[in-house]
Amino acid sequence: MIELRNLSFSYLNSDGKQKSEDPQLSRVNLKVAQGEFALVCGPTGSGKSTLLKALNGLAPSFTGGVISGELLINGTNLIGAEPHEFSHLVAYVNQQPEGAFVADVVLDEIVYGAEQLAVSKEQIASDVARLSKILALDELLDRPLSSLSGGQQQRVSIAASLIAGAKILLLDEPTSALDLQGASEVLKILHKLSREEGVTVLLAEHRISRVIGAVDSVVVVHGDGSVTKGKPAEQFNDARFAPPIIELGQKLGWQPLATTNAQAADLWQGSPAPFSTKSVIAQGKLVLETKDLEVSFGTVRAVQSTNLQLFGNQITALMGENGSGKTSLCWAIQGSGTRTKGQVITSAGDPKTLSIEERLSIVTMVPQRSADLLFLPTLADELHESDVFAQVEPGSTAALFQKIAGRIDTAIHPRDLSAGQQLSLVLALQLVKNAPVVILDEPTRGLDYAAKRALARALNVLRSDNRCVLLATHDIEFVAMVADRVLVLNEGAIVQDSSPTEILGSGHDLASQLAEITNAPGLITIEQVNQ
Amino acid sequence: MLTVWLCRDGSPWSRSISFYFQLGLIVIAMRVLFRIVFNLADASDDVLLRLPSVSVSLGFGNSIHLLGSVSSLSMHSALVDGFRLAAIILSVGMANSLANPRKLLRSTPGALYEVATAISIAINLAPQLIASLKLVRRARGLRGHSKGIKSLTGIVIPVLEDTIDKSMQLAASMSARGFGRRGNRTSLQLLTTRISSSVTLILLTVGVAMLLFSPAEQIIDLTVIAVGLLSAFVTVRVSSNRSTRTRFIVQRWQVADLIVIMTSGLFLVASFSGVLSQ
Repeated sequence: MIELRNLSFSYLNSDGKQKSEDPQLSRVNLKVAQGEFALVCGPTGSGKSTLLKALNGLAPSFTGGVISGELLINGTNLIGAEPHEFSHLVAYVNQQPEGAFVADVVLDEIVYGAEQLAVSKEQIASDVARLSKILALDELLDRPLSSLSGGQQQRVSIAASLIAGAKILLLDEPTSALDLQGASEVLKILHKLSREEGVTVLLAEHRISRVIGAVDSVVVVHGDGSVTKGKPAEQFNDARFAPPIIELGQKLGWQPLATTNAQAADLWQGSPAPFSTKSVIAQGKLVLETKDLEVSFGTVRAVQSTNLQLFGNQITALMGENGSGKTSLCWAIQGSGTRTKGQVITSAGDPKTLSIEERLSIVTMVPQRSADLLFLPTLADELHESDVFAQVEPGSTAALFQKIAGRIDTAIHPRDLSAGQQLSLVLALQLVKNAPVVILDEPTRGLDYAAKRALARALNVLRSDNRCVLLATHDIEFVAMVADRVLVLNEGAIVQDSSPTEILGSGHDLASQLAEITNAPGLITIEQVNQ
Repeated sequence: MLTVWLCRDGSPWSRSISFYFQLGLIVIAMRVLFRIVFNLADASDDVLLRLPSVSVSLGFGNSIHLLGSVSSLSMHSALVDGFRLAAIILSVGMANSLANPRKLLRSTPGALYEVATAISIAINLAPQLIASLKLVRRARGLRGHSKGIKSLTGIVIPVLEDTIDKSMQLAASMSARGFGRRGNRTSLQLLTTRISSSVTLILLTVGVAMLLFSPAEQIIDLTVIAVGLLSAFVTVRVSSNRSTRTRFIVQRWQVADLIVIMTSGLFLVASFSGVLSQ
């Protein structure tokens, strides 16, 4: 059981003084019962991670800052203790499993935590047997970690974090790097752990739509230092992070709000609302064409021979599971990635054969690790450098950035921006180049619904001047919001190419939440529903 | 080299050997090139290569002579120097590509666990830096080239930030899983372990250094090394008994490990006897 009494946490200014005007957590009182499954949510950058890290000592140990108040774990006040003093009580799993691995092989990784605590060999053996059964890792124990899929890796890190006997499990966006299947595997297991093993689960997530039906309670970190907890239906007054199911309930005035798809489906069947068909924007001229494009790494064929045409005034979504070749295809089209065969035709020639400057005037891309593009000490420097490089009027990048992200103090370091703001910055730097082809690789990772809506607005503006956008993503709800055309990639080959209402419609693997609830042909996003 | 080639285990570390090999070749080539350009005239008339001599006046002191006749003697010494440097680089590279730092962490005695962790994280940095460098360079191409010093910071800063982030993440994960627990050891026990391991390290370092620099008094040198080894044995033995960790999986010796140990031992003996016989 966890209990927080007047817990406050704030970072320090560079002069070592407490940032009193801007605390991450301020006088938080919170109780989570044994075996409770709680979803932790809130807008991007509100302090969800900080709250979780404070619960096992990682904040302030690894983040800096000051903590005060009481942190009771099973009745003992552990405020100010080092993270290793929590390891038999609290387990912690973060976004990127591969960055946290200590070993090479699954079994070694799982037992690490128990070895640190001098648990007897017999005990470890029985714990490994028990956990590997729950987490379906029996077959994988002697496999190298690097050979596992993202979902399997994340299951290994959950087992590894629980091996020392902890009954509280903290997860910081464990599914954000996973595809649909990997994410649902992980969520199913979390549910099982809380129901069958009595593990208290605190799960910070952005993909709320898939989780909300399974949790007991919702903890909201508001971003002003306050934290509230309540039933799922009561906690979503803030539209910044309300999932489609809640938005639908709010729009149609359901009392109380439905939180599971089944409840919502019943309410919808009772009184379905009218909805408009998704508006179709006239497709522009052919902008880019691939001819037998193929990518192989050694013996692995990442992208099969692809013939693809991209048109202007159109946002094309590229979907598919992890490892299906989305990123390889993006880089191959952009021209600087590996390409084994084939060519890409644009008005200025094949991007691969162009110089870097010429290529950038045709294709701009925002890669998955978008922060790699930032390297200057302040936001103002980045914006200025971008104006100079793109040879546009001074202030153009800043204006574009403000349009996407709102007004932000330009004296701060780009690394201090939230994930959403960083992405907006990179987007502004890349879009100001005004190239006819824009490629975005997983742009919605770590963004809340409000940031996603802002991004969608920015992309909508791009749908002009015969510009084409290629968007590689797992994010079904985002695709439903912006895409004009959806391609589904499987093992390197395009297996579907159709309209979003077709592919994200009810009854399909990639059905959006609204399609699942309403079961109405052609309805995939909340914008289509009329009151 | 052959041992390394045969005993590699296919992990990312093992692939770094070709990088070190190329670096070695570059070092040799540079050494020879520098000797040709900054050619010092010597008495030998065994001329290998005749190049026109160029005098460069710097405006002060004597002018410098570049190029000129290259004797086979100076070439020989340049090659020897180059090979010596390349051999050192290659040795480091071979050790790096054979020793998987994570396995190393598992195999160290309990007393040296903290030290081993620090070392393995440090070794971890190199391949991580290379991987991160590739990603960042590709990403830089998307932003376009800046002129001058900026293009360098554009690569160095993201790579460093990324590496530091990753190291912090690993450290946080280890800490959250109990690394760094003192268990039931008292602070006095911790202190004695630390002092005795420091003394051991000093003894061994001083002993080896003495043997290499003043090989005249071999008996004293060997005594120091012997005492150092004994102290190492005692320290490791005593503090491992107090260990607060379980070893669930004990690393077993394999044929490949024995081959590596034997070939390295052979070279060690050969080079030491070389030093002693001089």
